[in-house]
Amino acid sequence: MIVCVAVVGHQNNPLYIQSFTEADDALKLHHIVHCSLDVVDERVNNPKKSGLTLNETFLGLLYPTENYKVYGYLTNTKVKFILVTTDLDVRDADVRNLRYGIAKFFRRFHAAYVDAVSNPFHVPGKRITSRTFAERVSNIVKSFGLSSAG
Amino acid sequence: MANYLAQFQTIKNSCDHIVIAVEDVSDLWPNIKSGFEERVPIKRASLNNKTRNPVLVENFPCEFILTTDSRLRSRFPQEQSLFWFREPYATIVLVTCEDLDEFKTILKPRLKLIVQNDEKEWFIVFVSRAHPSNDNAVKMAKKVYAKLEVDFSTKKRERCCKYDIHGPEANFWDDLESKIMECVRNTLDRRVQFYEDEIRKLTEQRFMPVWNFCNFFILKESLAFMFEMAHLYEDALREYDELELCYLETVNMPGKQREFGGVDHGDDWAALLNHENKPLTQIVQDDSFREFEFRQYLFSYQSKLLFKLNRPFEVASRGHSFIIGFSKALTLHENMLPFCMREVWVITACLALINATASRNYDGLVAPDIEKEFYRLKGDLYSLCRVKFMRLAYLIGYGADIEKSPVNSALLSMLPWPKPPVWPSVPPDASPEVLEKEKVILQATPKIKHFGIQRKPLPVEPSVLLREANRRRASLSAGNVFEVFDGRPALIDGSASDASSRIPLSKKMNTISMLRTNSSPGTFDGSVDRPMRLAEIYVAAEHALKHTISDADLWKALSSVEEFEKKYLELTKGAADNYHHSWWKRHGVVLDGEIAAVCFGHGNFDLAAKSYEKVCALYAGEGWQDLLADVLPNLAECQKMLNDQAGYLASCVKLLSLDKGLFSTKERQAFQAEVLRLARSEMKDPVPLDVSSLITFSGNPGPPLELCDGDPGILSVTVWSGFPDDITLDSLSLTLTATFNADEGAKALRSSTATILKPGRNTITLALPPQRPGSYVLGALTGQIGQLRFRSHSFSKGGPADSDDFMSYEKPTKPILKVFKPRPLVDLAAAISSALLINETQWVGVIVRPIDYSLKGAVLYIDTGPGLNIEESHVIEMETCVKISQSSAEMMNCKGTQKDCSLAPIKEFQQLKLHNGRIEFPAWASDTNSVIWIPVRAISDSLPRGSSSVTPQKQSNLDGMRTIALKLEFGVSHNQIFERHLHFTDPFHVSTRVADKCNDGTLLLQVILHSQVKATLTIYDAWLELQDGFIHTGQGTGRPTSSFFPLMISPTSRAGIMFSIRLGKVIDKDTSFIHKACYYVETKHRAFNVIRSKAVQGSCHGTLNDLMSRLKFEFASCLKKFSWITDEVEALETESILNIRYGISGERTNGAHPPVAVDGIETEDARQDLLFKSAIVLQRPVLDPCLAVGFLPLPSTGLSVGQLITMQWRVERLKGPEDNGISEHNGEVLYEVSANSENWMLAGRKRGHVTLSTIQGSRIVISVLCVPLVAGYVRPPQLGLPEVDESNISCNPPGPHLVCVMPPALSSSFCIPP
Repeated sequence: MIVCVAVVGHQNNPLYIQSFTEADDALKLHHIVHCSLDVVDERVNNPKKSGLTLNETFLGLLYPTENYKVYGYLTNTKVKFILVTTDLDVRDADVRNLRYGIAKFFRRFHAAYVDAVSNPFHVPGKRITSRTFAERVSNIVKSFGLSSAG
Repeated sequence: MANYLAQFQTIKNSCDHIVIAVEDVSDLWPNIKSGFEERVPIKRASLNNKTRNPVLVENFPCEFILTTDSRLRSRFPQEQSLFWFREPYATIVLVTCEDLDEFKTILKPRLKLIVQNDEKEWFIVFVSRAHPSNDNAVKMAKKVYAKLEVDFSTKKRERCCKYDIHGPEANFWDDLESKIMECVRNTLDRRVQFYEDEIRKLTEQRFMPVWNFCNFFILKESLAFMFEMAHLYEDALREYDELELCYLETVNMPGKQREFGGVDHGDDWAALLNHENKPLTQIVQDDSFREFEFRQYLFSYQSKLLFKLNRPFEVASRGHSFIIGFSKALTLHENMLPFCMREVWVITACLALINATASRNYDGLVAPDIEKEFYRLKGDLYSLCRVKFMRLAYLIGYGADIEKSPVNSALLSMLPWPKPPVWPSVPPDASPEVLEKEKVILQATPKIKHFGIQRKPLPVEPSVLLREANRRRASLSAGNVFEVFDGRPALIDGSASDASSRIPLSKKMNTISMLRTNSSPGTFDGSVDRPMRLAEIYVAAEHALKHTISDADLWKALSSVEEFEKKYLELTKGAADNYHHSWWKRHGVVLDGEIAAVCFGHGNFDLAAKSYEKVCALYAGEGWQDLLADVLPNLAECQKMLNDQAGYLASCVKLLSLDKGLFSTKERQAFQAEVLRLARSEMKDPVPLDVSSLITFSGNPGPPLELCDGDPGILSVTVWSGFPDDITLDSLSLTLTATFNADEGAKALRSSTATILKPGRNTITLALPPQRPGSYVLGALTGQIGQLRFRSHSFSKGGPADSDDFMSYEKPTKPILKVFKPRPLVDLAAAISSALLINETQWVGVIVRPIDYSLKGAVLYIDTGPGLNIEESHVIEMETCVKISQSSAEMMNCKGTQKDCSLAPIKEFQQLKLHNGRIEFPAWASDTNSVIWIPVRAISDSLPRGSSSVTPQKQSNLDGMRTIALKLEFGVSHNQIFERHLHFTDPFHVSTRVADKCNDGTLLLQVILHSQVKATLTIYDAWLELQDGFIHTGQGTGRPTSSFFPLMISPTSRAGIMFSIRLGKVIDKDTSFIHKACYYVETKHRAFNVIRSKAVQGSCHGTLNDLMSRLKFEFASCLKKFSWITDEVEALETESILNIRYGISGERTNGAHPPVAVDGIETEDARQDLLFKSAIVLQRPVLDPCLAVGFLPLPSTGLSVGQLITMQWRVERLKGPEDNGISEHNGEVLYEVSANSENWMLAGRKRGHVTLSTIQGSRIVISVLCVPLVAGYVRPPQLGLPEVDESNISCNPPGPHLVCVMPPALSSSFCIPP
């Protein structure tokens, strides 16, 4: 289950963060997303070590903890997409699968983001307040839950 | 083969290095042993690794053991092959011999026997005991050695070396070492080959039923162990890795369900680094090993090798993933393991790894990124340990002491509860403990946050423990074990897969019965019906844990809240420190916050504040406001406790400036109240505070305020207040920064009156003193609230402060104020350039053109120069200037907007009064061009003079120039002084010429009038007052015929008037005076007569006095009159006066115009006749000959020297006696002939009087006889009339200038023939 998706700006500032949990605990997800930036930074700063190729936007699994997983995606403009999920037994092969994996999810998320920031009334570098974007993201999250379940 | 396991273990433990056998043939070993053993370990050795690549091993350890030693004897052949790794790797045969025969007969056969075994790698060391001084012996030894070499060494391989006991050769030891290593290498290669073959064989059988993992393990580990002995750790590690892989494959093979292990006492204490924890024999299960122990066993060997390879980083990295992986395995088997076994194991495993790697920091030995990664891993281990530790602590009731921070919530709330098959129940004798816990629970008060902030604490549990625990019990209490297991997957939320479903039912039954926590059936019954209370759950968990935990330290750490906090702090600090050394700064800082929370709880506010500051800086720096809002109140509280007013205020301001949605209005009001409370009352000293995030300001939209140099103004600024309520600022000042000059300090505009800022947008106006030219941007806003000096630097774009302001782009600093360089602000120009009439009151127009500047309240001072006079009594007129072309800029405007242009000029007209030389401008004139008409009269005393056509007089404009000084006061201190030249002129310039001179002496005097003004002049009358010596012809007054008038003269054109005059008598001045004086006296004669007669008649004294005074008066008037007459005579007689009565019709906007009626009774139709007077000088004709002298022609023969000739002049009287100006003496004329006496000789009277009749036309001839004396062109004698002015003499015909005198004619009588 995807519990949280976030867009983080190129200065590591949150642009959009949405949790999908029932409980009133968004703050902990803020924390998880924020701390996962450590890993993104590390990957970006040590591309050799992480085996990250320059033109690969999907960062893969950032955070292998026991209880949740954090995936990252880095756009060319250094905007990061972070996904927190509690699905623990996703295999790496599935993650990178462009048809139904998390990489696919990020592609769609990226498209939604691009549409949102293309709005002439959006100030770049500011929080995304578009409701359309929020709806679209939640649709993506829902449909991802369905496809991954199926 | 598994039977050998125990033996294998003992062998492994007993030998850890390579053995080299020494075959001491000649009993030499004791003598040379020390020398040999000194060489061990061998410094450098070259070996082949598994892939047959040479590897250099340093400090290669080995041991020399005599073949006779017990350790090398009595081994069974099977053992030998199985544990081959412990057999000697080389055999050194020590021999000595001093006799060749002995060698041949005894030694050689014996050696052959020894070395015949192919299995062995051997070489011979020949020990020479010959003393170097004993040559014979030395020679002998050499011979024997040579023989030995021949017999045992082959071409392929040297197998002999010679050792001199009295002093080995220098290269002996190297030789020895290389030979040893050669043997070892060969043996090792052979044995590796052997093991590999064996392993391959086994691997091929892997999927057969006979396959036994233990056998495979022994072979594999033997190989690994051999590598390890040879210091080929890499290869050894690879073997273990392969072993692990193979094991994991077999252990997870379906169908083979094995015991997991981990149920023994002490198993909770992770043994992942302790390979001696349990003998392998204990963990053998069927043909394999128990997973729990064996995986730890493998990992311990891997880590041992990694440490030997000096790769602690890999230990940590593999260890971390091992723990995670192993923890999963534990989860799968959780229902068979003791309560919380998994958590305890992870804690101990992490601590073990941390301790093992703690002393092995790289300290710059490796690449920095590896080092950082190492620290990161250690941080991870600490963190993992910390989480599990917290979980345990929560279970036993320390949950209240766990900070409900985001980090703890993130870690704990998604971590599932332990899943024991049955939740432990309360031991029977634990009721006091339960009471104790309940007391604690009741006493625990929820932490009240500062400022009365109320937030639901973040969860640190995945679900409510009470429910979870009771559910696990309740399901059991149903009594149907099968139902419990079958039904559970449906009950559980499904977040974690449940391993129990995979376990066959029969096993499940066993597991239940095996449960350690299930202490007695009695307790079951006692609490089955009633759900446990929270305190009971805690106590039960505590008791269960006590059973589980075998690590005394860990148990101690959980024994009390204090100990828990100690351990918690230790783990948190460990994690934070390591993260700080790694890339993961955020993790470190966040954990610092956790440390701060503990410090805060203990009242150590100083430390807490420092850590909180770091956390806040991290969140604020990247704009994570939600997280910041969670921590910042804590920091504020610390600062408050520490009495750090500045910090506390800054925190309050920061809290206020956070996103408005993060705090309720009430909370925000509390923040503001705190700020105000401090500012107004508590602080003693002023405290500076940056409120940039809270109070922002910007200039008003639109163009900047534009001011001219030196002008004050009023600046309007928009200020956004982020305070939730109105806030009163005691004072406010705003700095302006000049963009042109950075050095120039910012100028502050102050408003000392209190300003009240409403929440949101406020407009503030500030008085702006005059500024230097340039453009200014807003600098900073400062102000004072009580003792608080606040300061704001941030601009807003015209909206409220951006919530994440740190991110905002560099805002363009829009100038708010532009002060222009000194420039003309107004221009005063004369309205017309053409000349005005002099000596008449004329409208002088001054165009006032404000240049983008308001002339509101302007005052014009007029100062006329000499020769100018303003009619102060007259009104001054002011009107809109309609000449658009005055300003090219306006022209442009007009072109652009025709419509506007036509609408724009609204004609204004106003009459103003001049008071003390100043005119106040009306309001309408402040922005538009206007023209002021001032009535001015230029005064000129001098009479204009006409010029003659004979001597044209250059007209000088300077005469008519006047200067008017205008001072315009406007703005604040702008007064500009203008000097404008005005040109005045007479209406006409007069020139005269004599048009004709008639025979009767009449002169036609043409007077040409040049119009000087741009106005039509009409001449109504003209008359000429002639000077002495001229008179008008006829008896007229000299007026032209009146029918010519009126005569119109167009602007700048000319007209002529002809006067007919003739020369008159020149009246002598004196005569004239006498005439006039006498005439006057005659008129006065009567008055004097009256006085005289009165004096004769009356004798009274009073009357006389009266008469005397009257007489005196009369005399005085006479004298006065005389002086007048003198003047008159002097004046009149020299020049004539032309009088012209004329009218003018012109516009003041064009130039000259009719004079302003000063008295104001001017009527439209009243014709104003003006009089123009001009002096004309008439000169009597200069040439007026009365005598004519004519030179009579000379004889035609020419003149020659010495020839007598007569020169004749004729003198003729041209005029009659009446108008003869020549002084005459009785009709006689004095003549004189002058000649150069060198050239001429004159005969006769050269000077004398001749009689010439005074009748006109009388003539006489004067003859003089003269002889030329020199030849050439000479001047002839001249006749002069000394008494007659030369001008009265006309030479007709004129005499020659030069005459040609020939040389004298030759005389024949004097001729002498040559």
